[in-house]
Amino acid sequence: MSAQTPGNAVSRDIAVVGWAQTEMVRHTDKSETQLLMEVITDALAQVDLTRADIDFTCLGSCDYITGQAFSFVTNLDAIGAWPPKRDSHVEMDGAWALYEAWLRLQEGDIEIALVTGSGRSSTGDPTLIYPMEMDPYFLAPLGIDPLTFAALQARAVISAGVADERSMAETAVRARGKGDVDALLATDYLREPLHRHDVPPITDGAAAMVLATGTRARQLVERPAFITGLDHRTECHNPSFRALDDSPSTRIAAQAAGLGDAPIEVAELQAAFSHEELLLRKVLELDGNVVVNASGGALRSNPIMATGLCRIGYAANHIFRGGNRALAHATSGPCLQQNLICILEGPS
Amino acid sequence: MARFVESTIAFPYKRSLGPVVGAFMTALTEKRILGIRHGQDVLVPPMEWNPTTGSELAHDFVEVGPIGTVESWTWVPTPSVQHPLHHAFAFAFILLDGATTPLLHAVDAGSSGRMFEGLRVAPRWRGTRVGRIDDIVCFVIGEVAETDGEDTGSAPEPVQRMDYNASITYRNPVPAATDRTVLASRDHRILGLRCPRCDRVYAGGRGYCPIDAVELSPECEVDLPSVGTITNFAIVTPVPYPGQTETEPFVRAFVLLDGTDVVVGYQPVIELPADEVRVGQRVAAVWASPAEELDQGGGMGGAWGSLVGWMPTGEPDVIDPDLVNRIF
Repeated sequence: MSAQTPGNAVSRDIAVVGWAQTEMVRHTDKSETQLLMEVITDALAQVDLTRADIDFTCLGSCDYITGQAFSFVTNLDAIGAWPPKRDSHVEMDGAWALYEAWLRLQEGDIEIALVTGSGRSSTGDPTLIYPMEMDPYFLAPLGIDPLTFAALQARAVISAGVADERSMAETAVRARGKGDVDALLATDYLREPLHRHDVPPITDGAAAMVLATGTRARQLVERPAFITGLDHRTECHNPSFRALDDSPSTRIAAQAAGLGDAPIEVAELQAAFSHEELLLRKVLELDGNVVVNASGGALRSNPIMATGLCRIGYAANHIFRGGNRALAHATSGPCLQQNLICILEGPS
Repeated sequence: MARFVESTIAFPYKRSLGPVVGAFMTALTEKRILGIRHGQDVLVPPMEWNPTTGSELAHDFVEVGPIGTVESWTWVPTPSVQHPLHHAFAFAFILLDGATTPLLHAVDAGSSGRMFEGLRVAPRWRGTRVGRIDDIVCFVIGEVAETDGEDTGSAPEPVQRMDYNASITYRNPVPAATDRTVLASRDHRILGLRCPRCDRVYAGGRGYCPIDAVELSPECEVDLPSVGTITNFAIVTPVPYPGQTETEPFVRAFVLLDGTDVVVGYQPVIELPADEVRVGQRVAAVWASPAEELDQGGGMGGAWGSLVGWMPTGEPDVIDPDLVNRIF
């Protein structure tokens, strides 16, 4: 077995050159396919490309959320099915679709990839859908829901001294740009120790992103956001066997992605719950010089299956606007089970 | 404002349990809780593999509890229909005596004020136990286990499977084009949508061109003929499963509409036995009488609205070896 960490072995220049997101709303009348049709058109327009220019697509979505088997087949109508395309799908956030596209571009025979993340969370009741995705023997039959998992992790993070209810409320107020910490702390618990402000909104929306290889990327935009590190790691599925006051998978992914090689200026973390941001800041050792979740993060809008991809998009925006180095984080599963770290850098 | 349809999807899973989870579930019917040894640790619930390395664990079971200590908890003020209790309760990590990892389960504590780290709890067993994690209804405060109702004893045989009946209700928007297509079918019209870019025509009310990825507005609507030729078909032999209503083999056919390039897929055939369907056969649309219920859904493929299927016209077959390739 090789001791080499695959995440370090970036063999080609691959960059984010543009991305777009739909309006992020509590409830949309549009189907997921319609959302994708619109957002793919918008993302391509930014870099003056058409659907015919795309060599590879990878879509991230979830049948469980859509309530339709093979819903990703219907979503293919949004990518322009002619001429035939190399296409793939991940039943994960679009950030993992980006990971697959990045791997595919490493092969060197193609130049342009399109990745998306899309979800209509308002289609069903997340409280009832997510328990069915959990361990089918010990967790799902008890209906253990996302709020419960998050609350148990929040208590662990608080017990470890990484957060308290006040710092969590401050995080929520900063993310949403509104609210009074003392007033929020006086509200009832939704799931002790979580108040409503600690919890993400339910959001419908989609994001699309265009990746290009080195020379082509430089032709398309002035400052491509080059992916210089990308890695994801997972932990045991059952939180009974994990240290919930830590996120070792995030730490390993960040090391493999080369976080420590140079300072970063901004970090976009997929922290749907306020305590998750505080835990991730500690695990990633982000100091006061790093601007975290200037976008408002998942606490402001949480389009499930696109939330992680949007983090990579906002980090890329920092590079597009002249920044040098940014970190994006995406997560999947209960209590930060699986974590992806993407390092983006401007052209040297 | 789009119209929404509500649908409930049920998944009646039967899960095989394997040697480790099966042993745990069998023991539950005996009111015993098993962990599995892992070095100095005793993992509860038992795992087949080391959760850190993935290496297989020997089947060295240890009885734990049934009394335990609350390590952490959260309070559920408003339970969902999936939760084990119908009034406010706690979910808690409970470290059962003798275990080194906590079991996540419910505690019927009455109020959140009675919950604390270090609280001692005991199981409330279900009277009739079948080998599921909810054979333990919940845990209760104290060190005395309870049983709900009459105790009907342990499972006569080792438990090898468990039922898990998942059910989800969704509300999905129906594209306006689908509604217009269904409405036209009441007048016995097959509505098509012509893409302004590529000129291709689509039936079935999808509402966009998948080639050009553009939406097709009402201005793109065209009327299509209701007579055509079967290009290809499949005979589906129904497999029994919960919710299956078909019992006999049935046909799904693809029909190329006369004078167009439009193929409608997955169509039922009427007054045409499965073993008499042929490629090249001439068919005409069959419409429901107004009294018959209309399909209001927006699902993939099949007939729609008042269009219920296709029956032979009696005309001579179309002889064209390429016909069979037309399924879209």
